[in-house]
Amino acid sequence: MTSLMDHQARETVGYSFSESTAGVKQHGFYPYTDNGGSTLGITGSDFAILAGDTRSTSGYNINSRMVPKVFKIGGDDETGEGANIILSVVGFAADGTALKERLDTVVKMYKYQHGKPMSVSACAQRLSTILYQKRFFPYYVHAILAGLDEEGKGALYSYDPVGSYEREQCRAAGAAASLIMPFLDNQVNFKNQYIPGSGEGHALVAKKPEPLPLETVKGLVRDAFTSAVERHIEVGDNLQMVIITKAGIEEVYHPLKKD
Amino acid sequence: MGSPFDINGGACVAMVGKDCVAIACDLRLGMQALTISNNFPKIFNYAPSTYLGLTGLATDVNTVSDLFRYKVNMYRLREERHISPRPWPTCPVLAGINQTTGKPFICGFDSIGCIDFAKDFIVSGTASDQLFGTCEGLWEPDLGPEDLFETISQALLSAVDRDALSGWGAQVYIIEKDKVTQRLLKGRQD
Repeated sequence: MTSLMDHQARETVGYSFSESTAGVKQHGFYPYTDNGGSTLGITGSDFAILAGDTRSTSGYNINSRMVPKVFKIGGDDETGEGANIILSVVGFAADGTALKERLDTVVKMYKYQHGKPMSVSACAQRLSTILYQKRFFPYYVHAILAGLDEEGKGALYSYDPVGSYEREQCRAAGAAASLIMPFLDNQVNFKNQYIPGSGEGHALVAKKPEPLPLETVKGLVRDAFTSAVERHIEVGDNLQMVIITKAGIEEVYHPLKKD
Repeated sequence: MGSPFDINGGACVAMVGKDCVAIACDLRLGMQALTISNNFPKIFNYAPSTYLGLTGLATDVNTVSDLFRYKVNMYRLREERHISPRPWPTCPVLAGINQTTGKPFICGFDSIGCIDFAKDFIVSGTASDQLFGTCEGLWEPDLGPEDLFETISQALLSAVDRDALSGWGAQVYIIEKDKVTQRLLKGRQD
């Protein structure tokens, strides 16, 4: 996610004396900033969770300690009531907000025109199209979309900035994705875990991933974020957790370390 | 050409348990994306219950491990006793049990010798981000030797599976006061 911002690193080497181009001032327009932070989504048999920290940074500065990254899509503007889809965005916050506003409008227009709420799979395809329409000036975000599918099962879709997407059981995105994702592989999909005593060597039977209960998943999300906060400076302040079940959408906040 | 630290790939991690320590590494040796060998251990033994893990440029892994063996041998001849784990400014991950005090000890270094004394775990290599995540999530204080083995193994295997430059099996040492267990883990072969 930092590749478009590398120019800053290359611009100055950091010598105390001036370089040969001294006196020549170059101006440029850099339309993107990396606002840090991390998001995470996990699904279960009858729920989906999206979570994100609420810190917003630029460089080593903290812009705000309370900028939520998870949004209800297609609900009431103030309360979010009536929404059945949630979206998390991490990367460039301004693009994230713009993307969420566009998807929210699209989902509402769908409901007004068709007289029924948009399904999660339809919304997932539509979000991919929205992202790809800006293929050559992308929304600089890693988006995760969640809801319940037609069978009532938890559905989670993750995207790259230009709209490649995939339905998954769990996904971490943002600054601490590299820290959280291997933990999730191990604890949600049981990667590298085998059934004890099931055989020797190649005969060992791998532990099959199965949908986890809601309370277990909540615990994993909080563990993942407290770990990320410990080792990544761009993650912290508060944890926002949005849980979608057939009963509706529940939103909870937990404090994280503020250092 | 990338950073010399990322050319050959590799990962190493050490953890403290109750009266024991563990140190583990992957086995891959690569040139950028091309895998050259899947049997390149990065942990070296210098004295009873004193182990050193080295990641980074493979030629320097060899150089430093040989230089260190020479220095340790000279120490043993001069002092007429084995060396005990203590800070030494050339090694990225050090793990062992102090033979006189019986205390578990781990520490890490950057390439120019800045020491990191950790009470929990030390990570290094191209999968260090991933290792920080898995270790921070799985490690807990006062693990016994078997639990520590399971923890360090799961942490290392899950971490290297998310790093293209590390993996191809792993080697784990569990170091107790008067016993060292070495285990070879197969892991994903891709």
